[in-house]
This record gives sequence, C-alpha cells and structure tokens, in this order.
Amino acid sequence: MNPKTTVKDYESIVGKSYIEELRMLASRLSGKTILNINSTFVGGGVAEILSRLVPLLNQLGVDVRWQVIPGDARFFKVTKKFHNALHGKHDAVSDEDFSLFLETTKQDLDQIDLSGDILFIHDPQPVALITKRSDIGKQWVWRCHIDISQPDSRVWEFLRQFVVNYDAGVFSSPNFAQELPIRQFFAPPSIDPLSDKNRELPPQAVETVLGKYGLNPDKPLILQVSRFDRLKDPLGVIEAFELVRRNFACQLVLAGGTASDDPESEEVLKEVREQAGSNPDIHILDIPPGSDIDINALQSAASVIMQKSLREGFALTITEALWKAKPVVASAVGGIPLQVKNKLTGLLCHSIEGAAYALRQILANPEYGHWLGRNGKEHVRQHFLITREMRDYMLIFLTLARKEDIIYL
Amino acid sequence: MGIIDWLRVNWPHIAVPALVFLGVFFVSLWLRRITYNALERWVKERMSEVGKIILSVTRGPFLHWLLILGAYIALRVSILDPQSRSLGAKVLASIFIAYLGWILIRLSRDFVHHYLDKARLPQRAVTLTTNIIQVAVIIIGILILLELWGGPMTPILIAAIAVIVIAILAPRDVFPSLVSGLQLTQQKQIKTGDSIRLESGEEGRVEEITWRNTQIKTLDGSMIIIPNTKLVQTTVTNYGKQLKVAKEPFQFSTRLHLKELTGLNARNLSQLVSRLNEVSDSVVYYHTHSFVEEYQFLTPEPTNDFALWVQDALGYDILAERLASIDTFEFPTIGALRQMIVGTIQDFLAQTSNEREAPPGNEFHFIKSISVVLPTPYVAHNLREFVGILTRVSIGSLYFHIFEARLRLQRSTNDFSLWLDDWLSEEELAEQITQLDPYNYTMENLREIIVKLCEKRL
Repeated sequence: MNPKTTVKDYESIVGKSYIEELRMLASRLSGKTILNINSTFVGGGVAEILSRLVPLLNQLGVDVRWQVIPGDARFFKVTKKFHNALHGKHDAVSDEDFSLFLETTKQDLDQIDLSGDILFIHDPQPVALITKRSDIGKQWVWRCHIDISQPDSRVWEFLRQFVVNYDAGVFSSPNFAQELPIRQFFAPPSIDPLSDKNRELPPQAVETVLGKYGLNPDKPLILQVSRFDRLKDPLGVIEAFELVRRNFACQLVLAGGTASDDPESEEVLKEVREQAGSNPDIHILDIPPGSDIDINALQSAASVIMQKSLREGFALTITEALWKAKPVVASAVGGIPLQVKNKLTGLLCHSIEGAAYALRQILANPEYGHWLGRNGKEHVRQHFLITREMRDYMLIFLTLARKEDIIYL
Repeated sequence: MGIIDWLRVNWPHIAVPALVFLGVFFVSLWLRRITYNALERWVKERMSEVGKIILSVTRGPFLHWLLILGAYIALRVSILDPQSRSLGAKVLASIFIAYLGWILIRLSRDFVHHYLDKARLPQRAVTLTTNIIQVAVIIIGILILLELWGGPMTPILIAAIAVIVIAILAPRDVFPSLVSGLQLTQQKQIKTGDSIRLESGEEGRVEEITWRNTQIKTLDGSMIIIPNTKLVQTTVTNYGKQLKVAKEPFQFSTRLHLKELTGLNARNLSQLVSRLNEVSDSVVYYHTHSFVEEYQFLTPEPTNDFALWVQDALGYDILAERLASIDTFEFPTIGALRQMIVGTIQDFLAQTSNEREAPPGNEFHFIKSISVVLPTPYVAHNLREFVGILTRVSIGSLYFHIFEARLRLQRSTNDFSLWLDDWLSEEELAEQITQLDPYNYTMENLREIIVKLCEKRL
C-alpha cells in the first residue's frame, strides 16, 4: 500500500458518512488489542489484504497487530496439501503430515507472543494455535479465506477439531459455511480501490500497455484474467469467442500466469496456445505476478470481461472488473453470483453457447453494457471494497460476546 | 484726528463689514434652524442612532462655524490692506480647521463607541480604534495648517505616514476583523440564532458574533469558529431564526449489520418451508430485506430472496411471481410476513406432485441479520436542522429509522413520522412520510422525497 494512503482518501469513494461510521466503530474498540496471525507477510491474498487493513485500522486508532507463524518448507508443503484438499482436490495427506502439522504448531506456540485481547487467525496454517486457549483465554476468531464448500472430509475433520474451539468463524461465501457449533459470519473479500490494480489510470498509461502487448486499441477487446488452469476454462473462452467473432470484429485477450506450484499450468498454457492457433485476434499473455498496472490497463481497455470458470472461489478478478464499470460475462459458480446478479450487474452463463450469447448482447448494445457496468461498480462500492471489510471486522470484534440480534453500542 | 472724526469719515468702511457679518450670521442662523429641524424630524422618523450623534455633536459648533464664516466674509469686504486681510483669513481658517478637527475627533469617538460596543468588542479594540482615528485627524489637521501657513511639509508628511502605517500594521489582523465584524452586525445579514449554511457545506446555528470571529454550532454538535474576514468572503445561505423547537430533539442513530450464517440450507420447497418455520425472525427479516439493502442503487425491485431462489434455482416461475408480489409494507410484524410466505409456498406445494431439487451449489442458505445500532452525533431540534441532517446522514441511518423501526422494532411507523407527530406537532408532514412505501424507492430517492416534503413545509 502506498504509505501516504490515508483513511480520509476513501471519503471521495465511499462517502464521508461511511468513514464517519468507521471512526465511530474504531472509537469503541479503543483499549483493545487485536492480533492477526497468518503464515506469511508477503505473497498471497491474505498477506496482501492484511498489509492494507492493518495500517488503515491503526490510522483509525485501533490497536491492530500482525504476526506470522514460523515454519519450515516441510510444514508449508503440508499446509499446501491441506489447502488443495479443502478445495476438493484429492491430494494424498498422510498421518505423518498431520503429525508434522501438530508438531510445528507446538513449536510455534513456544515462539509466538500471543498478547492481545482478540486473536484473529487466518486460514488453516495457524488454526491449531487455539490449543493454547485453555492457558491464555482471550477471544479467538478464525478467518477462513478459502473455499471449503466441498472439502476433503479427512482434512476437514482434522481441522474441525480446532475450529470448534473458536468463538466465531468468518467465511467468504454462504456456501463455504459448515455445520459448526460456533457462530459463523459472512464477510466477502474485498479490493482496494486505491491500489495499483484498481486505481483509475490515465488514458496514456492504458495505451502504452496496449501497445506493449500489440493490441489494437480500436477493436473491441474481450478479456479474461486468470491463471492458466482448467477450472478457469480458457479453452471454453476461446470457443465462445470464435462463436462471437463470426458476427463481430473483436479481439480476445487471455491474460494470466503460470504458478510454480502448479505443474499443470504449463500444460494448460500449451493447450490454450494450440487452440488459439494462428488466429491474430487471440492474444495469450503470460504476465508475471505483480504486473498490477498491466492488468489494470487491460481491464480498463476491455469492452467485456469474462470469467468463465467451471469452479471458482470468490473471483476477485470479477470484483476488479466491476469496479472499472465493465460489463461482465461470468459463470454462475462459486462466489460469482454474489457479485453478478444476472441482468443487473452483469450476465451469468452456464455454457459456452450461453457465454457467446451474452457476449453478443453486450457487443451489439454498448449502452446496455455500460448500464450493467455502472450498476456493477455501485454494487462493488457498497459491498466489496476494503472499507466494508474493515467495517465487518470491527463489527465482529465488537459483538463477539453479544448474542442479541439487535445490538446497541 | 480723534476717533470720533475718524469714525465720522470712515463709518461706511466699518458699517458695511459689520452689516455683512450680521447679515451672514442671521441668514445662516435661519438656515441652520430650518436644516436642523428637518434633520431632527428625519432622525426621529428613522430612529437613526447615527443621526442623533451627528446632531448632538455638531449643533453647538455649527453656530461657531457660522460666526467664523460671517467674520471671513466681512473681512473680504473690508477696506483693510491685502496683507492684513490675508493674515486675518489665515487665522480664521486655522481656527476653523482646529475646531473642525476637534469635532471630528468627538464624532469619531462617539461613532466608535456606538458601533464597536454593539459588536461586543473588547475595550482594547475600542481604545485602539479611537486613538488611531484621533492621531490621523490631528496629523491631517497639522498638515493642512502647515500648507496654509507655508511651513515645511515633507519631513512631517513622512513622519505622519510612518505613524499611520505603524498604527495600521501593528495590529494587522485587527482592522480587517473590525471591518468584517461591523459589516456583519450593521448590515444585519447574519444574527445570533440564525440557521446558516456555508459555501463549504457546513450547516448550523450562529451562537455568537464577536469582533474577530463567528461561532457556529454545527448539526453534529461541534462548534466551528470562522474569522469574520473569511465569513464575509464566503457565500452564506441564511435560513433565518430557529423554527418551532421540538419538545424532544431527534437523535439520529445509524445501523450497521453483520450477516451471520446459520449453517442451515434448503434444496427443495419442502425443506424451505420446514426451515422457514424454525428460523428466527432475524433470518426472515434478512431474506425479505437483503435486496433493498444490497441493491440500493438500482430502481428498486421489491422482492425477496425466496422468490429469487425459487426462480433461479428451482425454475418455478409462477411461485416466484407469487412470492415476489408479497408486499412487505403491508405487514405489521415479521411473524405475519413469515406466515404469508410459508402459506404461499404450501399452497403451491399442494398442487405440485414432483418436487424439483436445486442443483448442487445452488442451495438456499439461511442467513441471519445482526443489526448493530450506534448513536450518531447528529441531533435535530427543529425541522430545519432535521432536513440539514437528513441530507448528510448515512444510508444506514435512513435504513434504521425507516425500515428497522417499523418492522423489526415494532414501532407503529417510521421514526421520522413518530417524532414529527409526537414532538414537533407536524401531523400532516408525519402522515405524508408514513404513507410512503419505502420498498418502492431506492434509499437515495427516499431521502430526496422526505427532504422535499420537509422543505415544502419550511
């Protein structure tokens, strides 16, 4: 985050009264210390959101701190397996893996200073720190950032024994909720409108990026930003594009990267290139991580943004697209319907043909596309910006001990 | 030749100037009477304080000035040699200038006291202003006398300018503040107790106007102090004096909400009905109001989550229409609303043989609304303040006082109507707001309509 960014900078985006309310909540947290614990300070969505949330909450006067658990490569290999298993991928997790996880947590407990009134634990890696609860008390909240709607039952049952000891769990989508004896809150993830990926770029910057990738600025651009992963259905996107291209002059950009921890991604990228063949209107861009301005420029230049995933978590790429007031065509999977209300904030599809039909509707009626985009942007403004995530967390911290449905603070 | 012989020879030379002197004097006396009588009438009619001061200070000296004028004219018509006449004229002019200067000092002293006391200026400022004016008058008088008598002007002029500049620069902010303060109090554009709105959007009641600044109590209860020099340069909307004051002020609250996942879900209509019968009112409230909250920016589609799910996940278009057409505004309690929804689904189920199942991943998830209510700093004591606050409070605040108050807190109508009726005796306005069906407007539209209704009343 730009160190000069202040909470006041968000007033022009969400309104003065919204920020006033954040300050009111923050004043009621005065005297409490909230300790965030996750597995890394850099890399990954959790570290990214914490690196923005923590300083902003501090600016509001809330004593929020952030620590990471120490752990070696073997530990993180195991937690990566957990991650995949919770996502529904069948990655063999052995008894030794569980033992190693518990052993490392035990060591972590000796090394970490768990001072704070509320312990805010993020994702599965530090989840077992709760075993210390009987010694130190305090309030514990588990923030689950990942999709656990169809978890591997063995891994979930293992983690569940820790989760049930928390005061509350926080999930990114209603379908991630599990049958648990603890309170579960719904708090979707968010984007930072002032980040490089989401701030408004000057037209020259957009033109420069288009030039860099050899894109025609005068031809309608259809874009999908995602890793080269089969679950993102890049081949389906190309097929839908081919159907549309019969009637509309347009170009397709598939922008993404290959993940070093996903050997399949190279293979998928190769398949995508084969499918695209020599079509000059299909551009496959292998963009390295951290190219936020490039992604922002591509999204800003797009006429339609797609997310034709077969399975999806929350899909922050959709949030980013909507924030740029772009019409979106996306599959009705995962957290996408939370963001795209069909025919109001974008168009949902269930097939390649459906996607092509939706693309044609928007390309033929740019005004309709603009209307969808405008609605989408307002929807994001109200529900998926970092200010809302700050508000939700403060509300959770303030009401943990309260059981009423209407709470007066 | 004796005096008598001299007078016998020269009496016309004495008599003419004496007659001229007396003539001018009596004519002037007559003119003074007419003029001052007219002025007195004018002052009486206008009740002008300024006029009174001028009359009281100048009435006596005016007579003396007339004498000097008579003497001057008599001197001009006398047979004295030119040098003597010139000397006499200079003496008379010098007396007149000194006298005039003295009167100006008296006038300025009275004016300063009159105006600055009204503006509640501290004694220091009154004395300072009086002294500066006196010094200026004396310096100007001396310069004129020097000019008259042909004395050396330049060094005194430089010294005088230096004194004036120092006098002005020393208390640099005093003069602009004084002038601005006077402008505000004398022109009576803004008075204590007025409700005003500044160009910057700040709004509030004028608590005090001093010679340096104006204190305004804003709608959120904080006090802003604006230097008068700035206030006179900005655009101010003055709504005038306070209106009828409410017996009890309206305390604006705001409502933020959390979504609590119940872990309950439904795959078909039977499960939906079964769960609906067991969940708390807060769950039913959430699913009948989430659309209003989630899509505040859209032309409202007053529907509920049940109708949307029945259509999107189960494909029951007719039932979806029936559920969507349930008018939430008609129901005084959530219990009654729940009964209507359950009854509608059960009626449909009774005519359906094969129940459809939602595809995996499209189950209905029951969510509970947790409302967190906080008082805001905004408190309205009258209708003007109420409107001012209404234009700036958050959507959450509007939502709380309109939607939650009625259905969730079981108040007979929205909070605004209750206050307007009970505490401000604005029965008609209260009724107009009660009659609004909030489910048919976006929150911003609703705000605009209520503000317009109140402004019409103002």
